[in-house]
Amino acid sequence: MMSVSTLASFDYLERLPGTTFRRLYQQPSTSLAIFRRMLPHLAKTFVMALLYMSKPLPLTDLDLWVQPSSKRQKDQALSLLSRLNIVTITAPSREDPQVVSLTKNFKSALQLALTGGGDHQSFGVPSSDVIEDVDLRFLDEYARDQWEGILHYVVNSVGDGMRQDGQGPTLAVKDLLEAGKLVTKGRHSGGGITQAGFSFLLQEVNAQVWTLLLLWIENAEKMSMDHVEVLSFLFMLGSLELGRAYNTTTLTESQQRMLGHLVDFGLVYIPPSTPTQFFPTRLATTLTSDASALRSVSAGFDAALTAATGSKGFIIIETNYRLYAYTSSPLQIAVLSLFTKLSSRYPNMVSGRITRESIRQAISHGITSDQIISYLTTHAHPQLFKTAAAQAGGPVLPPTVVDQIRLWQIENERMKATPGFLFKEFENQKEYEGCAKYADEIGVLVWKSDAKRMFFVTRHEQLRDHIKSRKAK
Amino acid sequence: MNAVDGSDHYERAIEGPVPSLLVIVLDTNPHAWALLSSSLSLSKAVANLLVFINAHLAVNNANQVAVVASHSHRAVWLYPTPPSMSEDFDMNKAAASSLSDANKYRPFALIENSLVTSLRSLISTTTETDIATTSTTQMAGALTLALSYINKATIVFNDMDTSSKPAPTGLENTEPQIGLQSRILVVSVSGDLAHQYIPIMNTTFAAQRLRIPIDILKLAGDTVFLQQASDATKGIYMQLQNARGLLQYLMMAFLPDQTSRKHLVTPTQDVVDFRAACFCHRKVVDVGFVCSICLSIFCSPPEGALCLTCGTHLTMGDYGSKPAVMPRKKKKKRKLNGEGETHSGRGTPTPGD
Repeated sequence: MMSVSTLASFDYLERLPGTTFRRLYQQPSTSLAIFRRMLPHLAKTFVMALLYMSKPLPLTDLDLWVQPSSKRQKDQALSLLSRLNIVTITAPSREDPQVVSLTKNFKSALQLALTGGGDHQSFGVPSSDVIEDVDLRFLDEYARDQWEGILHYVVNSVGDGMRQDGQGPTLAVKDLLEAGKLVTKGRHSGGGITQAGFSFLLQEVNAQVWTLLLLWIENAEKMSMDHVEVLSFLFMLGSLELGRAYNTTTLTESQQRMLGHLVDFGLVYIPPSTPTQFFPTRLATTLTSDASALRSVSAGFDAALTAATGSKGFIIIETNYRLYAYTSSPLQIAVLSLFTKLSSRYPNMVSGRITRESIRQAISHGITSDQIISYLTTHAHPQLFKTAAAQAGGPVLPPTVVDQIRLWQIENERMKATPGFLFKEFENQKEYEGCAKYADEIGVLVWKSDAKRMFFVTRHEQLRDHIKSRKAK
Repeated sequence: MNAVDGSDHYERAIEGPVPSLLVIVLDTNPHAWALLSSSLSLSKAVANLLVFINAHLAVNNANQVAVVASHSHRAVWLYPTPPSMSEDFDMNKAAASSLSDANKYRPFALIENSLVTSLRSLISTTTETDIATTSTTQMAGALTLALSYINKATIVFNDMDTSSKPAPTGLENTEPQIGLQSRILVVSVSGDLAHQYIPIMNTTFAAQRLRIPIDILKLAGDTVFLQQASDATKGIYMQLQNARGLLQYLMMAFLPDQTSRKHLVTPTQDVVDFRAACFCHRKVVDVGFVCSICLSIFCSPPEGALCLTCGTHLTMGDYGSKPAVMPRKKKKKRKLNGEGETHSGRGTPTPGD
């Protein structure tokens, strides 16, 4: 249900203070992007229903609208919406019923985004001059070159570099990767990849771009750039049209400075002949698309990045742990070699085995089994999908292999840490039950012990309010 | 061990919201809109509809939309416009005007432009004789266009998604979860559609088979068959009491796609009018004659007792009289068994179940 909630940007946004949100939501393009990218499906439905409602909606009416069996989803959606400062829910009191409404800024910005109008120019000012030689193909290739350069740099920092070309990412990008602790320099002779670096490599491209951008935003604060402005600019990029030139002259000064960095990442292209124009590449225009959209729009990242190999999925894995990867890309082979024992290489294919040893080695580098499995799933060969579809939506990867990879990880990790908050010493059983039930409904409950009357949650803000309101009654 | 083996681990193969395709059938019947103009003009309705379309596109990047006009004499595509000789000219004009606007999301602007342009050209090509000769609308044609478009879009989508996926056979075993979710929204203002009974019911059953809900938003008039269409396809039927609140109705009731509808209580009609139209005079009938071979319905016995559809010679014991009424004998039984009442008391058979 949750649309790629594991996304790094998502957590980052949730941590922002309310004032930041109010400023972010002034731009229609930002509101639209957050709406589209960050919200689960049901939350979107609620937002749209509330958008043109003149009066706040009583919560009891909302309860009537939602099926009783979906109460949990409803509560989770509402709790997320209020965390992102999209809706406000009035505090419960005895006189007035609780009502829910959209926050003012978000409401007016999203309305503007849907109807057009206003004078915010947040959807980019297109340039009227047309340059002939910049077409989609060129932009895709450009984006791919830039991005693969960065990935190669990260991969090659693993011990024996498989290939070392002179053309790597720019120095600023290298510094950024180091600052974000994706690679370390100096500890070993040639530098090294860190745990964060591994998980970075195994992410989907969209998530990779976001990871890097967020790193950059965090650093941008040091560079005395306003992160609200940076974020709005990124969301604007996501709403631009691929293959169209936009004016740089209407951008603010810090946005113009940002463009320089984005060129390094391959998100935008500035033709050398006309520096007042920029072209967003596919990496930029799909920033606010979600995973399923990328899969369906054949022109997704994967298309942009794997155009060289010709197909999206290339990995076949069998129940006997043999793995065949139809790729000649050194990058992909390097990533595969992180957790596979590769045995032979052919012009268009490598083959190997997933072994206990290779997985343990990967895990000792800090890669988790989930990352490996999701990498294998994303890059599974169409043939595997076909078999899965033939079994009416069966698993894509062989279940034995998936389970075994997990088991291999569990061999070493018998504990799982979850940061959070422990609630205990309730006055009576009823209060304990009420709070634990509420925590479960809003989806923050991790563990509970009825005998000891204590439970553990990942977030406490809403629960605190809930307990307060219980006390008030 | 068991914790690892839980099957929920590896079954999250393809997750995430499914993109949906919304085909809107806009009834542009000039007569009906003229009647409605005091409370809601066509231009206002179109403006509201555009916001609704934008909202639909905003929900997911991959969401698609298509709009068909069901006009008095023909059904016309408003968006996407079919390629025609005048397209180049239109495109240039549209591009020029939307190009300069940085305050509007470009996909929204493009659709708006194209829709308004084609609607305008549709209205300007409508002659007075067109209006004078008929007072109804080509709903069946428009629904057929919508269905064929959905079929095409589904095939294209599946091809694109993963080239290896089996092509939809159009039968009931097409996987409902994966692939494009489509639905049809009919914004209807015209009343009587009895003369299109057969084609409308055919499209309804086709949609039912393809699991495409037909949502009906009724601004004026009342049509038996659209009620049946939405009922058979599990769509939403709403008759607006106050046309001014159109946008809110659209946003709240019609925007949720199939994925969200699972979680919501959707508005439906309490009473569905299941009456059928006869095949001979297109009259809506309560009680009629049914051909025993092809199940065609007639309001009165056809001439020469030959079925108009299949030509079977029908024999009727009591030719020309009213249909037989249940004999009184049953009275005794009814007392013994109270349930029998509800069955025989029902006037008309319910199609579909």
